[in-house]
Amino acid sequence: MIKILIVEDDPNIAKLVEATVAIGGYEGVVCSNGAEAFEKMEHGNFDLILLDVMLPDMSGFEIMQRRTNTQVPVIFITAKQELTDKVRGLRLGAEDYIVKPFEAMELLARIEVILRRVKRTENVYTYGDISVNVEEHTCRCAGKEIYLTPKEFEVLVFFIQHKDVAISRDRLLAAVWGFEYEGESRTIDIHIQQLRKKLSLKDKLVTIPKLGYRLESAKE
Amino acid sequence: MRLWQKVFLYTLILVMLAVSMTSILLLKNSFSLALEQRKQSVYSEHEFVITSFKSMMITERLRENAVVLDEKALKEFMADTFGGEQKKSGIQFCDTSGQMVYANKEMEIPQGLLDAVKDTGKNYMQVSGYQLYIASAESMEGKAYYVVTENDITDVVEIHENMLRQILAISMGCAMGIAFILLIVVKMLLHPLQKINEGTRAIAQGSYEKRIPEKGHDELSELAHNMNRMARAVEQNVRALENVAEDRKQFIDNLSHEMKTPLTSILGFSDLLQIKKDIPEESRIEYAGIIKEEASRMRTLSGKLMELITVGEAKMEWTKEDMGQLFEEIGVSLKVITDNHQIHFTCLSEHGSLWVDRELFKSLLYNLVDNAVKASGEGGSIQVEGHFEGQDFCIRVADEGVGIPEDEISKITQAFYMVDKARGRASGGAGLGLALCAEIISLHRGSLQFESRLGEGTSVLIRMKGGIRHA
Repeated sequence: MIKILIVEDDPNIAKLVEATVAIGGYEGVVCSNGAEAFEKMEHGNFDLILLDVMLPDMSGFEIMQRRTNTQVPVIFITAKQELTDKVRGLRLGAEDYIVKPFEAMELLARIEVILRRVKRTENVYTYGDISVNVEEHTCRCAGKEIYLTPKEFEVLVFFIQHKDVAISRDRLLAAVWGFEYEGESRTIDIHIQQLRKKLSLKDKLVTIPKLGYRLESAKE
Repeated sequence: MRLWQKVFLYTLILVMLAVSMTSILLLKNSFSLALEQRKQSVYSEHEFVITSFKSMMITERLRENAVVLDEKALKEFMADTFGGEQKKSGIQFCDTSGQMVYANKEMEIPQGLLDAVKDTGKNYMQVSGYQLYIASAESMEGKAYYVVTENDITDVVEIHENMLRQILAISMGCAMGIAFILLIVVKMLLHPLQKINEGTRAIAQGSYEKRIPEKGHDELSELAHNMNRMARAVEQNVRALENVAEDRKQFIDNLSHEMKTPLTSILGFSDLLQIKKDIPEESRIEYAGIIKEEASRMRTLSGKLMELITVGEAKMEWTKEDMGQLFEEIGVSLKVITDNHQIHFTCLSEHGSLWVDRELFKSLLYNLVDNAVKASGEGGSIQVEGHFEGQDFCIRVADEGVGIPEDEISKITQAFYMVDKARGRASGGAGLGLALCAEIISLHRGSLQFESRLGEGTSVLIRMKGGIRHA
């Protein structure tokens, strides 16, 4: 399981981040100050660090500069919105920079992007009798290969990664088509219908009124 | 045109005018003097020539044995006398109608000369070109003649013209010299002005710390001095404005951070509640509890913020209060809070009057005691005590709580500053209480001081002026 170190001094926000990464299927370890963070980084084997900039004993920038294990990717989570802070954070080698307040799905999406970049995500996802290989870009249902368009494929992977999470059309557009995509949410509905038909997911990929869609976990 | 150019040019023109006028006047004078002398000598010569001619004519008459020389003989005699070798001065005889009778050389008699003699009957002189003509009416052999002599005055005129040329040359030389010296002097005198100019330009472009050199004791150094005073005032104002802007920016930064922290939790947990399926009951209650807690934190923050903003803007309602009575009143309402925390609490003051804004004063004591309660925890002790020292009213709020680290005492009245963030948050603080207190005390023109030892407690000392102790 992928382990994420959460460095955040506000206990409620720490709890929120922990619960959010849990949705993505990651294990979150919380610590509330810089000294503790150093200790954890030393011993724990983490795949990613979510780092708050304003900590009681030292700033997140300082931790970034002083840490010895620079292999682990870092995402800054901060209330500071100024560009100079953002630039400083990225210059120090952070992979990304998220400004509070943030949405759960946005945090998850950014975590996934980075994990994929450093190749720590799985290549094969399974859902019931469907198995998806991200590397080969293939999808099998009950052993038989199913042809999916590239976008349909990405939508399917996104849903499998977020089982039991209600996903809004906007979120899906942002994740699959890119944040700049100005298309209609009708596009999504068509792709969902195609997926339902091709993989017979009619009962599993349910519509949530006024929100979007959700892939219910497969019952064994 | 630049000032130095104007000063230089005008001075140069004036000096040159004065020099040339004086020399030309002097020259004119000396020329007319020389001419006058020449005229005298020419006049005597003319008289002499005519007198000699007349006496010679008598001798001729005797020699010719004639009573009167006829016109022809006279003419011949004239030619004999004045002809011959070339003379330097010419002579001409004319009859009354102006017709030439005899001339020893070609002469151009200026017009009007003979008429002038005819009109006045006297001798007359006229200068024409380089010649001086003198005419007189004479009667010879019973007939009237005009005699005109021509005299060369080239030497006099030439001397005059030479001198004029010399003076022109000398003037030009002088002008050069004067111009050179003037240029240096003007440049030197106006040099400070250029410095002032450069200095003010630099100041205007934002280098407010720049100063102009103040040398000497003339108007320019005075100007420089005043410019420097102005620059100093501008610098002070700009620095003050920068500080205000910096404080405000800090305040906004802190405020946005303080707002974002609860907002992040509220938005995040409500987001989780919305998108997650099958949330266990206990998580749902926990999330909702966090949302509620953070929302109430925001409520506290906005309330305190409103208080802080309105304190600065509200009109003070000054009333003369008896401190003993007011402390007793406040003590009663605060006791409810301290009792909740099992804290031993006293609130006493000497009797005496002080001009205060009643509501703000209550808010001041409430905030200080609230801080003391947060620092004390269960079972501590808090004392609020007031007394008069001469004209000053002193308040002491003492607790036996956690205390404040020495190096943080200077920062605790800053808005949003919390010594222990986690602790402050847990007790529902926004970090604005002491900022509010400091504002209220400054509105009452008082002073605020802290005495604290880590682990032993904190005393807040307030001193307000204008109190009167009751006997």
